[in-house]
Formats: sequence, C-alpha cells, structure tokens
Amino acid sequence: MARAHDAADAKKADDPFDSLALSAENVQHNLRIAYYCRTFLSIVAGAIAGVLGLTGVYGFLCYFLVMLCASAGLAAKTRFNTSAFFDSWHRVAFDGFLQGLMSFVLFWTLVYDIVHIF
Amino acid sequence: MAEELVLDSAIRDWVLVPLSLVMVLIGVLRHFVSKCMSSQPEPDAKALKESQIVLRARYLRAAANYIPAKSFRMRKSYFNNEENGLLHVPKGQGQNVQAQMLSDPNMAMDMMKKNLSMIIPQTLTFAWVNFFFSGFVTAKIPFPLTQRFRGMLQNGIDLSSVDVSYVSSRSWYFLNLFGLRGLFSLILGEDNATDDTQKLMQTQMAMQMGGFGADPAKALGAEKEGLDLVQHEWLLPQIEQRAAAVLSQILA
Repeated sequence: MARAHDAADAKKADDPFDSLALSAENVQHNLRIAYYCRTFLSIVAGAIAGVLGLTGVYGFLCYFLVMLCASAGLAAKTRFNTSAFFDSWHRVAFDGFLQGLMSFVLFWTLVYDIVHIF
Repeated sequence: MAEELVLDSAIRDWVLVPLSLVMVLIGVLRHFVSKCMSSQPEPDAKALKESQIVLRARYLRAAANYIPAKSFRMRKSYFNNEENGLLHVPKGQGQNVQAQMLSDPNMAMDMMKKNLSMIIPQTLTFAWVNFFFSGFVTAKIPFPLTQRFRGMLQNGIDLSSVDVSYVSSRSWYFLNLFGLRGLFSLILGEDNATDDTQKLMQTQMAMQMGGFGADPAKALGAEKEGLDLVQHEWLLPQIEQRAAAVLSQILA
C-alpha cells in the first residue's frame, strides 16, 4: 500500500492539513487494492460456505464474518490509522461489500452443488 | 413444500461444471480478442496538451492554500487570463472539435468493433446453452427464496411444483454472466473487456454530457470556472502553532 500522505501521526479531525494533503492517486490505488482483497475473499468465502454445506442464513453469516475479517485485516495493514491511507474510515469497512456478494453467491452455489446435492 | 429432488451426478459432470468453465474461458477469450481488435488511438497533440493543462489547473486548485496569496494570483492569471490564459477558449472553437470527432470514421469503427466483440460471443454462448442444455435442473441455491424468483431462476422449465431454489441451466448461465465479473476483475486486471456494463454507462453519460465523447473545450471552461471560485486562504501562517502542538505532543 502506498501512503496517501506522509505525516502519519494522529491528528485532530478539524485540522485543515489533514483533509487536503491526501494524494488522490495513492488513495485510488489503495481503494483498488482493498477491492481486490474483498473480491478474492468473497470467492474464497463462497468456497468455504459451499464445502461446509452451509445453507440459508448461516451462509450469509459466513460471508459477513469473512468480510469483517477483511475489514479488520485492512485496518491492521494500515496499523489502525486508516485516515493516512483512505479518505474516510468507512471506505475500509464497507467498500466493495455488495460487489463481492454476487461473486459469493455464485461460488457458494457452485461449490455447494458440486459437493452436496448430487 | 416439494420434497428433495434427486439429481443425477452426470448432470454435475456434464452440465454444471462445463457450463461454468466455458463461461470463464469465453470471458478470457473475449478479453484477449477485444484487446487484439481494439486499435490504439493515435494520441492527438492538441488534446493531450489540453488535458495536461486541465490536470495542472486541478493540482493548483487542490493545493492553492499552501502557497502565498501573491503566488496563487500569479498562477491563476496564468491560467485564467482573458487574453492569453491557458484555460481561455476562444468562442466558436468548441463546435469545431465536436464536428471533427463526429466525422472521424476511426472512432465509430472502434465503437462498432467493441460492440460486436461484446454481443457476438454472448449470443453464441446463449444459443449454445439453449441448444445443448435446455430443460435441465442444474443447480440448487443453498438459501430459500420466495415464489417471485421462479421466473428468474427456472427459466426454461415450466413446472410449478418444483421448489424455487432449484435453478435451470439457462438461469445458471445468467447467474454466471453476472456473478463472474468479480472473478474476471481478479484474473484479467482492472480494465478488462468483460466489464461492459460500466463502459456502456460511461459512454451514455458522455453522450448526455454533450456530444460524442468528452468535449475538451468544455473541460477547460469548467476548470476555469472552478479556479475562479477558489477562495484562497494561505494556511502556512498558522504552521508554527501546529508545529508547536505536534512537538509538545511528542515531548509530553
């Protein structure tokens, strides 16, 4: 990940330097990486749920759990200082959540069918 | 309601897995074919220059508060000057550019190639699925759904007694079509050819914004207005207090 700005120490939210000194390209790059992580993890989560034979609500719970782990992992990667890498914290927490859901459902169905119903 | 269906495992081996595999491979094939077919647009020196100017003006706008007022005014007049500023567009030039772009045959050719490479494989795959696999119950979705989804998931089977969560082969094709986008963005990279929907949206947006593609003259005008609106306030006079605060935080 590329740092969006070099002053990494925690600052107050009303500090005008904080919001201005983000490099747009680096933020874009970080968002793309976060999106890749999520897509990959949603496919993996689909495979996990399928192999375990989870159905109904449990499968979606599995997805939420994996996405939660992804958010925690991304936050840990930024050393819990997300404002230095992204323009707001909910980017880390929620971005790519719905796009991943489609892939998740597809792979969940595929693997579940291959392993369990035939 | 309906009891469990028993599906032949041959359906898995010869319908479900091959169908998904073929969808992935066709996506990859389409990506590379459209890569081969799309001609790299000749970089136009004037357009490049204009886009670079817009970029520079945008940087100035973003970082305006880090330079003193005098420097900012100097740069602003360099860009916005009514006589020879870089962002100033003489009247009547915008139309020219648009007409030129419309009459450019290469552009239309490129669009057509892209559309063809998008539509032909999709039609072919759909025909192939219809021909070989019509009428199978292929898969079962592992979560319950309401009756309303029957038309979507059991396209091609007309049996109302089958549970809604069973998916017909034709509907499995559609599910693949939409769900594999994430996988493609992983294996083919960010701007792959399979991401048609976004591209379509973008071209439509551009059409609505005025004319064929983005109009560079308009971008210049918009940037000029943006630069005019910037309220300049030099931040650095307060830098000492900030430095003192940071240092005292470190020392504390």
